[in-house]
Amino acid sequence: MAMPRYLTGQKISLLILVKLYCSSALPSAATIPVLSFILKHTIPSVVSNARPRRYLEHHELSFSIPTFEDVLQGYTSSMPGRTLLDVFLKLMWEINSFNALEDLFYSLGELFDKHIEENGHGIPTDRIHLSRTSPLGAFVRKSRLEWTRLQFDDCLKLWTAFIRYRAPTAQWTKRIASIASTGVDETAALMNLQSGDKLYNVTYGHLGDEPEEGANISIDDMDRLLEFQLDQLQKLGCRVPDDMRQHLRNMLAPSGALLRQSHLVKFFDAWKAGDYTSAFDELHRYYDYAMQTRERVYYQYALLHMAILQADFGCFGEAIAAINETIATARENQDMTCLNFSLSWLNHLTKAYPKQLKGAEYTGLLGSERDGLTFLKTKAKESKMYNLLSATLLNEAKLCLCTGESVSRALEYMYQASHLNVREFIGNNGSQMLIQSTLCSRLGIAHLSNTYCDLLLHCYQDSCPIDERIRATCRSAFGAVQQGRYDQALQLLEIIDLSSHRSLKLHQYVFFCIGIIKLKRAIHRTDWVACDALLSSLVTDSSTDPELSFLLSEARIDNLVARGHYWDAFNAIENLSVTLKEEVADVLQRINMLLIKANLFAKAGKSERGFSVALRAANVAFKARLMPKLWYAVGQICAILNAMGEFEPASRLLHAVIPQALENTDHFLNGTLYSHIGDSYIGLAGHETEFSIDSRSRTSNLSRAEFYIDRAQQCFKRVEDIDGECEQLMKKAVVAKLRGDEKLAEEWAQNHNRVWEEGRERIGETVVGM
Amino acid sequence: MRVLSAADEAQIKAHLQDAVLSCTERCLYHSAKWAAEFLNSFPSSDGDSDTDVNSPISNTRPPQTPTSRTIQDATELRLEAREAHKYLLAKTYFDCREYDRCAAVFLPSILPKGSVPHTSSPSTASKQQGKGKARVSTPSKPKVSLDGVQELSQKSLFLALYAKYIAGEKRMNEDSEMILGPQDGGVTLNKELPGIAAVLEEWFNNLPTSGRRPQGWLEYLYGIVLAKGKNEKLALEYLLRSVHNYHYNWGAWQELSSLLGTVEELTQIVNRLPQNIITFIFHITASQELYQSNEQIHNTLTQMLSIFPTSAFLQTQQALLHYHTKDFDEADEIFSNLLITDPHRIDSLDNYSNILYVKESKAKLAFLAQLATATDKFRPETCCVVGNYYSLKSEHEKAVMYFRRALQLDRNFLSAWTLMGHEFVEMKNTHAAIESYRRAVDVNRKDYRAWYGLGQTYEVLEMHSYALFYHQRAAALRPYDPKMWMAVGQCFGKVGKVSNAIRAYKRALVAGSYYDASVGSSFGSAESAGLGGGILDPEVLYQIALLHERAHDMAECAAYMELVLAQEEGQDVDDFAGEGGGGVGVTPTTSKARLWLARWEYMRGMYQRAMELANELCQDGVEVEDAKALVRDIRARIERERGDARA
Repeated sequence: MAMPRYLTGQKISLLILVKLYCSSALPSAATIPVLSFILKHTIPSVVSNARPRRYLEHHELSFSIPTFEDVLQGYTSSMPGRTLLDVFLKLMWEINSFNALEDLFYSLGELFDKHIEENGHGIPTDRIHLSRTSPLGAFVRKSRLEWTRLQFDDCLKLWTAFIRYRAPTAQWTKRIASIASTGVDETAALMNLQSGDKLYNVTYGHLGDEPEEGANISIDDMDRLLEFQLDQLQKLGCRVPDDMRQHLRNMLAPSGALLRQSHLVKFFDAWKAGDYTSAFDELHRYYDYAMQTRERVYYQYALLHMAILQADFGCFGEAIAAINETIATARENQDMTCLNFSLSWLNHLTKAYPKQLKGAEYTGLLGSERDGLTFLKTKAKESKMYNLLSATLLNEAKLCLCTGESVSRALEYMYQASHLNVREFIGNNGSQMLIQSTLCSRLGIAHLSNTYCDLLLHCYQDSCPIDERIRATCRSAFGAVQQGRYDQALQLLEIIDLSSHRSLKLHQYVFFCIGIIKLKRAIHRTDWVACDALLSSLVTDSSTDPELSFLLSEARIDNLVARGHYWDAFNAIENLSVTLKEEVADVLQRINMLLIKANLFAKAGKSERGFSVALRAANVAFKARLMPKLWYAVGQICAILNAMGEFEPASRLLHAVIPQALENTDHFLNGTLYSHIGDSYIGLAGHETEFSIDSRSRTSNLSRAEFYIDRAQQCFKRVEDIDGECEQLMKKAVVAKLRGDEKLAEEWAQNHNRVWEEGRERIGETVVGM
Repeated sequence: MRVLSAADEAQIKAHLQDAVLSCTERCLYHSAKWAAEFLNSFPSSDGDSDTDVNSPISNTRPPQTPTSRTIQDATELRLEAREAHKYLLAKTYFDCREYDRCAAVFLPSILPKGSVPHTSSPSTASKQQGKGKARVSTPSKPKVSLDGVQELSQKSLFLALYAKYIAGEKRMNEDSEMILGPQDGGVTLNKELPGIAAVLEEWFNNLPTSGRRPQGWLEYLYGIVLAKGKNEKLALEYLLRSVHNYHYNWGAWQELSSLLGTVEELTQIVNRLPQNIITFIFHITASQELYQSNEQIHNTLTQMLSIFPTSAFLQTQQALLHYHTKDFDEADEIFSNLLITDPHRIDSLDNYSNILYVKESKAKLAFLAQLATATDKFRPETCCVVGNYYSLKSEHEKAVMYFRRALQLDRNFLSAWTLMGHEFVEMKNTHAAIESYRRAVDVNRKDYRAWYGLGQTYEVLEMHSYALFYHQRAAALRPYDPKMWMAVGQCFGKVGKVSNAIRAYKRALVAGSYYDASVGSSFGSAESAGLGGGILDPEVLYQIALLHERAHDMAECAAYMELVLAQEEGQDVDDFAGEGGGGVGVTPTTSKARLWLARWEYMRGMYQRAMELANELCQDGVEVEDAKALVRDIRARIERERGDARA
């Protein structure tokens, strides 16, 4: 059975309800519920940038007759003893032949106010008349138009669909004596036909057949349904849930109707599922069918989709070719929207995958990045594409951050974007929150950064892409890692319901995050077995998120350094910094490399050689307001100063830095800083011993050193860094010895051994646990 | 032949059975269906029909089936046996609708040559068109190569030529393109006709010398071809020969009846028909198609129905006879029963839909449309039913669409042409209406509705003398339909022939009193109020009166006006509804008559009577203003006369 175009049994029932409403039979209490019920099912959701979209929780396209019962049962009609439902069903069952159905559509014309004007005088006042342009009027007119367009046999199909639709209410007819006798068809009843008769079987025999799912759904409804699916897919970047897919298939399969949208839905689904070939196939199929009806207008969109798809699967060469053609076609067709969007996307791509694009022999189309953004901004303003403008502003803010320019400018861009989001109802809040959170973390305000992530997760959960949600979650997890709450971080990531999106890319993203967190913990715990296992499983390729791949290489180097493979580590650092330099990478990453290098020198016992490196890092970090990195760099410098015996300036520097760093609650950093300051005080104490000025100040320095060492130990304990903790315990033992308290020293030494043993045990446990 | 003996019945059955097979062999499927339906419409009680039914299955070879048929021609048998394989091939080709290929099996070269001059050079063809029928008989070329034809059995020859004919019809339909389009003027000819005619002419010329016995089939085909070539006299001859040679080919009978234009023609040929049970059926059908309904026909029909009690065809004929005499309820009931017994039967449902249309039973018409659509939505009958339904719902565009579809399915579907004409009239598209009606009339000259429609349309165009011709044709076909005569009278009146008009109206009065059943019409616009037996149509009377007035015959006019008033009361004075024997009550017509009379009396100075009439008018609430003015005038006059009298 082919799918009806617009009208269904359910729509006819709605029309009857409209008619009932117009006859003023409704008690005033029922008016609003009935009207909102009708409107809910007739008005298509408005597609507009200027309005926020409402998502109906129960977006039911086909509903059975009990829905009417629920709405109408509770109200009494003007006739005593009858509920509104009775009146409604009476109207429903008064349509007792095909002719009556035809009459119904004819009589709907009388509902309009124009009809009265034509008839002139004697307006009956007790009727409600619809304006032709009112929502109800539009619905009625559309229905009538569709009815007129129907072929006779389609009318008949609708008639049988209607009979089927109202069939569940058959028992109600018994309450209304006048219509009890006629049954399905008045004529059949007049001719004394029973359901077994031959003649009856010819006309109504198929009523007994089991209707397929979706028989009550018209193409119009289906279009709306698919539109909704597409919207969700595009907006959230997820896949069609399994049960929904089954439903859709059942609805579409028997009708044989080929809906273009369904190909598009399939395309997005396959894309997100990581099924490159089917996605490609479906995209082509969709545009092949779209081409029939809309000609070349949509060619550029096809190309754009193709480019995004190609890039998503790592085929950058093809992606560039496609996007270039998109831009050319869009220019030719004067499609500003498409042109701007593709330029923006291209900009994003060059940003995200600079290396890969260079490999694909892409030379910037827009000149420098900054020029590109400015161009896009003016274009977006000209064509009033606020969505693009907001995205571009955010990109500009991001660029500011990356190049280490003034933070205030970045903030300004961000606030502009935010203002646009609010004013024009752009659903761009997710990315804005993310950038804000990044900015905060760069400024060393960790809790604020976390707060933004939480804000995104709590407030914009439903309206922002899944991708952003997962990024936010990962960021919170990394925040927790900073504070040493590994289990909490892992738990955060593990509760992400992978089945809700089932997208390969996101899956990989989460997998890498978990892997990196575990790797970090393993390095802190000096669990080399786990490190090896994790490192071998975490292999990046060109399509991996660049940020993650950087984090991973960093962790890899950390691992090498921690295990004492300094030479390998040095090589790795050198390689990585060269590539970063080539890519003109984020200033944060480059500072990180410098710091790691300085750290490596320190570890190798040649901390002086790292001095210039550390100083440069501190300099850049200070300029770019990358506070955590600055603190770390200062820590490195102090370590070098300590090593050079300049204890006084080192301690002064550290005193200046530590209070700020504490706010950031990066325990490893704090531990390092405390440990350095402890070293400084010990150095100071030793210094004083040499010149034997004052034993009191020496004692005070020692106790201070001990105090800071204690702090450092606490911090290292929190991040489960065994090396650091043990080192502090050793220091304490040494300090005790220095004081001459052998017993205490012994105790600390034992303590040290115990902690070490515990650490080993913990590794054993995790191995068993793994 | 009130009761058929068992032997007679068995014989008829055998004949019918043979007819089914013979028709099927010659691919005359409709005739075969007709015969088979009759074969199965005997009373079911007798048991030996079972054995008969079995026999055709066991005896598939045609020569062995006939039990009482005239002994088979030995020559034909020999020829048929020789060509058996080729025949099977041709038959399968025909069944697969590869008509040209079918014809080529037996006539590989002859016919294409014959038709070459016509197909290859359209310019000469168009020149020849001016000469008209000459073409049909002119071609001399084919004669050269007709020798092979004599070698064929009649069956094979028929099949080949028939396939040729069908192929030509098909091409003709394709050439006509859109319904009512530029190519569809009804002038496109079947280009195979000359070739077929040449072959058959030759064959029949050689018949006396060749010693072949005619079987009736070739005569049938020749009859069709001749009729298409407008050579109707000869066609009639050949068709008569055909039915004489083979009684049970219903197609031949149908063609025969389509050649009959009037009752007189029917009575002329009745004597020349074979005396047979089929002849009775033919008589019934032909009379029905000529709108003849009298005792004799009904009697024959009843007899036939006693032999074939379950025959849907005969019941349909009965229903149509009732329909023509405007006994719609009866017709409706018969059709209803037919529906119940055979719900998948679509044949002549279009007629049933006409009946329901006139009865304005929309729900039932909708049901019928639903039923027909459920069975087969691409049958012209179905499309007509749906079209009628939409017409009744005043959706004329849609109705036209469905009639058009019906015509696309079968260009010769008469009722669709007529009904489409009606729709075009409703849509005020007079030119299209005229063309549609014209096509209907071309298809079947006996369709009075189309003639009447043509007349009406011309009246709309104010071409009254033209319209008069068509109304006269319609009246000739339906001499007992007052509507036709009224139309004729009206036209006469419009063209100024007052006396003719009066005669026509009087004829209408006579016709009106002839039917004692309800007067309605297929046009739906007529008044549906029933007129009692003794009641004359006041409208007609009024018209007559007006005509007399135009002829300045005031006395006569006044008399007729009085007659109009008299109709108001009828026999039963108080009955306003006009039911049964009562009068028509106060109608606009009678009121107009009353006003006229009042004025007339006033002019004559009969103030009292004038006053009476004017007051009655005021009471009835019709033409109150005029009546009141009149009353004032009368009062004034009376006053003045009194004054004069005093003075």
